[in-house]
Amino acid sequence: MRFVALTVAAAILIALPLVTTGYVVYLANLLLTFTVLCLGMHIVIGETGQFSLAHAAFYGIGIYAAGIAGTSFGTPFPVSILIGGLAAAAIGFVIGMVALRMRDIYLALATFAFGEAMQWVFLNWNAVTGGPNGLRIAPARLFGLELVTDKDAYPFVVATAVAMLVLTVIVARARLGRSFRAVRESEIAAQAMGVPVQRTKVVAFGISAFFAGIAGGMFTLFSTYIHPDSLGFQTTILVLTMVVVGGLGSIGGAVGGAIAFGLISELLRQAPSFQEIAYGAILILFMMYAPKGLFAFLADRFRGARHA
Amino acid sequence: MDTELIYLFLQQGIVSGMVVGSVYALLALSIVMIFKTSEVPNFAQGEIFMAAGYCALFLLVFQTTPVWLAVPLTLVVAFAGAALFRRVVLTQVSRASGSPVNLVIATLGLSYVLKGLVRRTGFGDTPRSFPALVSTDGVMIGQASITRLDVAIFLTALAVMAVLFCLFAYTKVGRAMRAVGMNPKAARLMGVDLQRIHMLVWGLSAVVSAIAALLISPKILMTAEMGGIVTMAFAAAIVGGFTSLPGAVVGGFVIGIAENLVGLFISSRAIVVAPFVAIMLVLIVRPQGLFGGRVAIKKV
Repeated sequence: MRFVALTVAAAILIALPLVTTGYVVYLANLLLTFTVLCLGMHIVIGETGQFSLAHAAFYGIGIYAAGIAGTSFGTPFPVSILIGGLAAAAIGFVIGMVALRMRDIYLALATFAFGEAMQWVFLNWNAVTGGPNGLRIAPARLFGLELVTDKDAYPFVVATAVAMLVLTVIVARARLGRSFRAVRESEIAAQAMGVPVQRTKVVAFGISAFFAGIAGGMFTLFSTYIHPDSLGFQTTILVLTMVVVGGLGSIGGAVGGAIAFGLISELLRQAPSFQEIAYGAILILFMMYAPKGLFAFLADRFRGARHA
Repeated sequence: MDTELIYLFLQQGIVSGMVVGSVYALLALSIVMIFKTSEVPNFAQGEIFMAAGYCALFLLVFQTTPVWLAVPLTLVVAFAGAALFRRVVLTQVSRASGSPVNLVIATLGLSYVLKGLVRRTGFGDTPRSFPALVSTDGVMIGQASITRLDVAIFLTALAVMAVLFCLFAYTKVGRAMRAVGMNPKAARLMGVDLQRIHMLVWGLSAVVSAIAALLISPKILMTAEMGGIVTMAFAAAIVGGFTSLPGAVVGGFVIGIAENLVGLFISSRAIVVAPFVAIMLVLIVRPQGLFGGRVAIKKV
């Protein structure tokens, strides 16, 4: 079953640029970027059960760090992306150290506060971010070649997304992933089993920020402009909604949620007020009737129908 | 800056800060009330505040309802809406999973629905001004100048706080609410109807937020984003310790005064970021807030 799904996904990813036009490829790039963001959100909220309401901020740090490295210093994009990821991870670790003293709601509020403060920094640090004028990003380079179009960038976006997916699976299966889930289920039991709870939380937070930073770097591959307005709480909520729709706690859910809800939200873009109502209603309804996400919900229904 | 100017700024900052601070305190109270009884930080509190403001605006300006009818009507709508959300949505959410993360996500959902709805009606798309119900003539307190409206805001807020404290201290319902906050299981064993108390707390909290909206709206431009003011209230609640009602009031005044002093002495652009810095600083030094007790450790 899983093998079939992966094969179909691979076939679609390979065939996409051959059969479609620019906009669809752009959308695919964007959805893959959001997939990586969701994988990061999955690690901190799905695996570890900790709140992070600062994802847009880490995403933004990744975009600015990678964008400035590529634009001002002409670094090849693998280096720029890594710079973006590491910059976000470094700040994520620092925030994690602070958040280490907090739990539940305090963590949620502290990360929320950090996200808002970062957006303020993006808007006001004119020398670096261009402030309210936004920042132009030069096309990404590799071996002196410039990736000008969405199609040029596409293979690299796909490769990065796949690499991050593999990394997520490795982390989840490793000892680290088991500590994450132990902390999620019960901090006290985890501690009793010898899991260093605080360190595990900080690591989860840092890795999650790293993913967001990498996603920011991916964005600079195919986009030429960034404005702080798109890095606010709205984006964090979008990512959270995707992970919730897919299903908290499963990697497949994070990926599926990013793609499915990404498409929905793209369709809703024309009507902003309607988009807000839809996001909100989806969050509420999923929490009420399908807290494990769309795919688990459908699987349950399917199984139920078969047994009936 | 010479000493006389500093003295003048201090007076003005403190007096204006007390006025805004009293509104922050009301909002912080409504957040803390809910958090104390059900452990849910209500991220939709700002949007409840905003929606109540628009409800009053709609009644007063577009339906020309008299004030004596519009104000109670707004409060009733706020009470019913919030109580209903608690009863219909959150009961089902906690039945479905019970994790606090899921409850928080549901309140985030509510905040987006409310914001979208207000925009959808067309009221929220253009900034509007709310009619002042009290004259805006100037009054001098020491060397600080404020308006009659400011005085009315401050006094009303104090009166609401006094009523709330009496409610919690002397009435049966208030004691039941406190009991649920301390230990829900024991409260239920003593015959408290949890479901009913939760609905009452949510409704009451929405009423307090609605009053805050009625008080502050004449002083600001109303937009669908005006719920953002709740960040200040969260900051106030955190400064106060998040589980302490008197703490929320003190926190509200502290944030209000700090905000005004930052605006006068540093720059009005710094006001926006000040509460976040305050939140982070307080949480680093005292993760449970200034007035909070020990953070309870969740048992297995």
